Amino acid sequence: MKSLKRIVAMAAIAAGCLSLAASPAKAQSGAQGSPVRVGSTLALTGPLSATALVHKLVGEIYVEDLNSRGGLLGRKVEWIVKDDQSKPDVARTLYEQLVTSDKVDLLMGPYATGAILSAIGVAQRYNKMLIHHTMGVPSLAKYDMHFPAWSLGPDPGTTVPNTLFDALAASPKPPKTIAIVTSKFPSLHFLSLGAREVAKKRGLQEVLFLEWEFGNRDFGPIAARVKDAKPDLVFVGDIGLEGNMLLEAMKKLDYEPPLHFHLYPAPGPMATAPETKNALSVTIFEEHAPFTNDPVAAKFVKTYNERAKAAGFPYTKVEVQAAASFTAWQLLEAAATATKSLDDKKMAEWLKANQVKTIQGTLRFDKGNNFGDDLMRIKQVQNGNWVTVWPKEWAAPGAMLKQ
Amino acid sequence: MNKAIVSGILAAGIAFAALPWLGAPAFWESFLYLLFHWIILAVSWNILSGYTGYFSFGHGAFFGAGIYGTAYLAGTIGWPFLATLPAAVFVAAALGVALGAVVFRVASVRGELFALLTLAVTFVLATIILNTKIDGGPGIYLLGVDIPKLGPSPSASLYMLGLVSAVATLLISYWIYASKFGSGLFAIHDDEDVAEVMGVPTYRFKLYALAISCGLAGLAGGIHAVFISYVTVSETFSITVPLSVVLMSILGGSRHWIGPAVGAVFITCLLYFFTSGDYAVFGRAMVGLILVVVILFMPTGVLGVFTNWRHARRKQQVMVEPPPAHEGVEGQAAPVVRLAAKPVISGEVLLQVRGLTKAFGGMKALNDVTLEVRKGEILGLIGPNGSGKSTFINVVSGHFKSTAGEIVFDGKDLTGMDAHRFAQAGIARTYQIPRPFGQMTVLENVAMVGMFGGEGMSRAEATRQAEEFIAFAGLSHRAHVLPEDLNLHQRKFLELARALAARPKLLMLDEVLSGLTPSEINEAIEMIQRIRDRGTTIIFVEHVMRAVMALTDRIVVLNYGSMIAQGNAVDVMNDDQVKAAYLGKAHA
Repeated sequence: MKSLKRIVAMAAIAAGCLSLAASPAKAQSGAQGSPVRVGSTLALTGPLSATALVHKLVGEIYVEDLNSRGGLLGRKVEWIVKDDQSKPDVARTLYEQLVTSDKVDLLMGPYATGAILSAIGVAQRYNKMLIHHTMGVPSLAKYDMHFPAWSLGPDPGTTVPNTLFDALAASPKPPKTIAIVTSKFPSLHFLSLGAREVAKKRGLQEVLFLEWEFGNRDFGPIAARVKDAKPDLVFVGDIGLEGNMLLEAMKKLDYEPPLHFHLYPAPGPMATAPETKNALSVTIFEEHAPFTNDPVAAKFVKTYNERAKAAGFPYTKVEVQAAASFTAWQLLEAAATATKSLDDKKMAEWLKANQVKTIQGTLRFDKGNNFGDDLMRIKQVQNGNWVTVWPKEWAAPGAMLKQ
Repeated sequence: MNKAIVSGILAAGIAFAALPWLGAPAFWESFLYLLFHWIILAVSWNILSGYTGYFSFGHGAFFGAGIYGTAYLAGTIGWPFLATLPAAVFVAAALGVALGAVVFRVASVRGELFALLTLAVTFVLATIILNTKIDGGPGIYLLGVDIPKLGPSPSASLYMLGLVSAVATLLISYWIYASKFGSGLFAIHDDEDVAEVMGVPTYRFKLYALAISCGLAGLAGGIHAVFISYVTVSETFSITVPLSVVLMSILGGSRHWIGPAVGAVFITCLLYFFTSGDYAVFGRAMVGLILVVVILFMPTGVLGVFTNWRHARRKQQVMVEPPPAHEGVEGQAAPVVRLAAKPVISGEVLLQVRGLTKAFGGMKALNDVTLEVRKGEILGLIGPNGSGKSTFINVVSGHFKSTAGEIVFDGKDLTGMDAHRFAQAGIARTYQIPRPFGQMTVLENVAMVGMFGGEGMSRAEATRQAEEFIAFAGLSHRAHVLPEDLNLHQRKFLELARALAARPKLLMLDEVLSGLTPSEINEAIEMIQRIRDRGTTIIFVEHVMRAVMALTDRIVVLNYGSMIAQGNAVDVMNDDQVKAAYLGKAHA
C-alpha cells in the first residue's frame, strides 16, 4: 500500500513535469505579412546524403527565386529543412514535429522512398498535402493527397521497359536477346521484374536473369555470366556506382556489351568513364533543347550549374534528381497560386483536377495512386555527355541512338 | 530488489502514459517513442553483452527478426498487429537460443570471435529474408495495418506500446541486475571459468540472458515495423542498430542496469538536437566529437563514473579508520562465525577418486590416481613442481574434465559433469594465484559464492553470510573495495573467505600460503585450523612444509602425475620414493 502511494505520488510529479515540458508550442501566426512556412526533411547526413544535397540546393534556388518574384500569395516563403539522417523513423518524427509543433503551413517531401512513405503516413494523419520528388514505387503510395513530382506513371514496371524497347526497336539493329541483371534494391527490383515480363511479351529472348544484393561490390562473377550469355542487350537494374563497377568488371574480361541500359546510375561517373560509352538510361530532363527551350528551365539550369560548382558537387548538371526537385516546387507554387490558398485540401483537389506545366513537361495526377503520365525518356552517353535520344520529340538536336 | 527503484520505474511509466491526454503536440509522442525504442534496444543488448561480457554485434539480426516477424505476419498474412508481437519476440528469442546453444558450447568463441560471429548472423539472416518470400526484394509495406486503439490516436497507440515495452525492459534489466541470476552473469563477465567452478551454471545462464536480450530486441523490432511502415532488408539489417546500441551502452555504463538507457537518451537527444538543416553536417560532426570526448574521459560510462566514485569514497573512508585485526568495520567486533567443536575424523569416505587420469595431448598430468578423503580430515597433497597437484584440484573441482577414472563425492558420481555441479555438490577451492571477480567488491565476491555454492542461498541471505566470512578473514574494513585495492595477503584471504562462503563439505586449498610473510603464514595456519574446526574437510596443497606438518592428518605425495606415497606426515617424509622425488636418487 505504501509503495503504491509512492508510485502514485512519483507519477503525479513526473506527469506534472512532463506536461510543463510538453506544452504546445506557440501556434505560428498565419497573418498577412508573416512568411509562408514550408517544412521538409532531407537526408543531409547518412548514406543518402550525396543525392539529398542536390534537393537542398534546388530548394534553396527555388525559394530564393520565388521570394524575388514576390513569394507565395504575396508572402515571403521560409523553407524549414531538417536532417532526417537517412532514417525513415527520424523522418517520421521530424514531420510530426513540423506539423504539430512547428506548425508549418505546407509540407515538401523528403528524399528516398522509405522516408517519403514515412512522410506520407504523417501527412495522412494530419490531412496535409505532400508533394514529393523521387518516389520510386508508385504502388506503395496510397494517400489521396500525395503528389509525385517524378513522372513515372502509375505502372513504371510496364511503361518504362516499353519506352526503352520502343527506342531500341526504332534503332538500326534492334536486340533479339536480353540479359537482365539487377540489384534487389526495392525501387530497382520491381522495374527489372517488369522488364522481364515486357521483354517476354515483345518476343525478346531472355538469355540470363541474375540478382545481387544491394551493397554488393564484387561484380566479376556477374560480368562473366553476362559475357557467356552473349546478349544483344544488358538491362542493368543498378543504382549509384553499381553500373560502373559492373562495366569495369566486364572490361577486365575484355567484354563490351553491344547495348547496355542502366536504371539509376550515378550520372557523373556513368557519363565520363571510358567503359561506359553508349550507356543508356532513363531521364525526365537533360540540359539541352528542347528541355531548355523553356526559359524557366534555362534560368534554372544556369543558376544550378553555378551554385552546384560553387558547392563543390561532383556533377553540376541538371538531370533527374534536380529536375524532379524543381518540379515539386513548381507544383506547390502552382497549386497555391491557382487556389489562392494554403489550404491543403483545396490545393490537393486542384492538383487532381488540373495539369501543371513544369520543366519536365506537363504533369497530371488523375491516374492510379495520383500518378499521371509516364514521362520517362531514354538518354545515352555520347561523347562524355548525357543526351536524350528517345522519344524523338524530346531528343537533343541531331541526337540518335548509337550502337 | 530495491522497492524504491521499482516504484520509480513504474511511476515514470505511469507519468509518461499520461502524455497523449495532456494535449501536447503529437510529435512528442513520436520523439519519445524513438527514445523508448532505443532504450529497449540498448538495455536489451546490455542484458547479454554488458552483464556477461559477451560482446554482440548481432543485435540488428534479432531486431530484424522481430521487424520481419511482424511485417510478414501483419503485412503479408494479415494477422492483427498485436498478435504478431509475441511471435516477433518468440522468433527473435528462438533465433538467439539456437545460436547460443551451439556457440556457448565452444569455449574458444568468446570476445571478438563471438562479436564477429553474431555480426555474421546478421548478414546470413538478411540474405535469407531477401531471397525468400519473407521479403524477396521489394520490402513490405505496412501503412494499411490496423493499429489497436491504446491511445487517442494511432501515434499515441504506438507510443503506449513503446512505453510499456521500455518500462518492462527496464524492470527486467533491474530485476536481473539485482537478482542472483544477475550476480551469476556478472561473475561470467569477470571470469567465466571461475564462475563455473564457483557454482554458476554458466551455459544455462548465458542462454537465458541471450533469450531475454533477443526477445526484447524482437519486441522493439515488431513495434518499430509498424512505426516506420515500410520495411526493407537494407535498412533493417544495416550496421546502425548494433553500432548505436554498443555506443549507447558504453556511454551510459554497461555494468549498470540503467546505464544503456542513460546512453540511449543522451545519444538520441543529441542526434535530434542537431537536425536543423543548416548545420546538419556540422551537427553530426559535433555529435561524433562529443561522443569521443565522453568515451575518452569516461571509459566506464556515466554510471560507471558514478559507481567508481562510490568505491573511491568508501576506500577513502576505510583508509581513514583502519579497524583492528579481526574486527569489523567502524570498530565493531567481528561477527562470530559459529564454529563446531573440533571434529573427530569419522572414517566415512567423503571423496573417492579411482584411476583418475588427465592427459593434455600425449602428456599425462595425472596418471591413474586412486585415493580417498575422509570426512573431517585435512589431507595434505604434496609433490615437487609439476607433479600434478594443481591438476588434481582442477579435475576434482570440475575445472578440467578427467580423461579417465571416477570421482565419487558424498555418494554421488560427479565424473564428466560440469564444474558447477561439483560446486553445488559441496566442493570449493581456492586458486594458487587469486582469481577474484575483478569488478565486484570484496563483499560481492564472497556473497556470489554463497548464492551458487552448496546451499544456494538467496542474494540477501548470501550477503549477510558474506559479511560474517569477511570478518572471519579479517577483511571487514575492505568489504566495499574492489579486489585490485587489496594486497596479496588480503587477496589470498579473500580466496579463503570466498571458498568458505560456499559452506563446502570439501575445501581444496591450492598453495594459499605462497608469497606470504612468516607472520601472515602463522595467521593463515590458525585460520585453516579454525576452518577445519568448523567441520570442513580439507585438501591442502602446499610447499610450506611447516604448515603441512602442523595442519595435515594425512599426506598424499604425487610425482609426475602418479601417487607415490600416502600416510601420516612422519612416515611419508621418511619414504625413500618421496625423498628421491624431492632430492633425487643417491648414486654414491
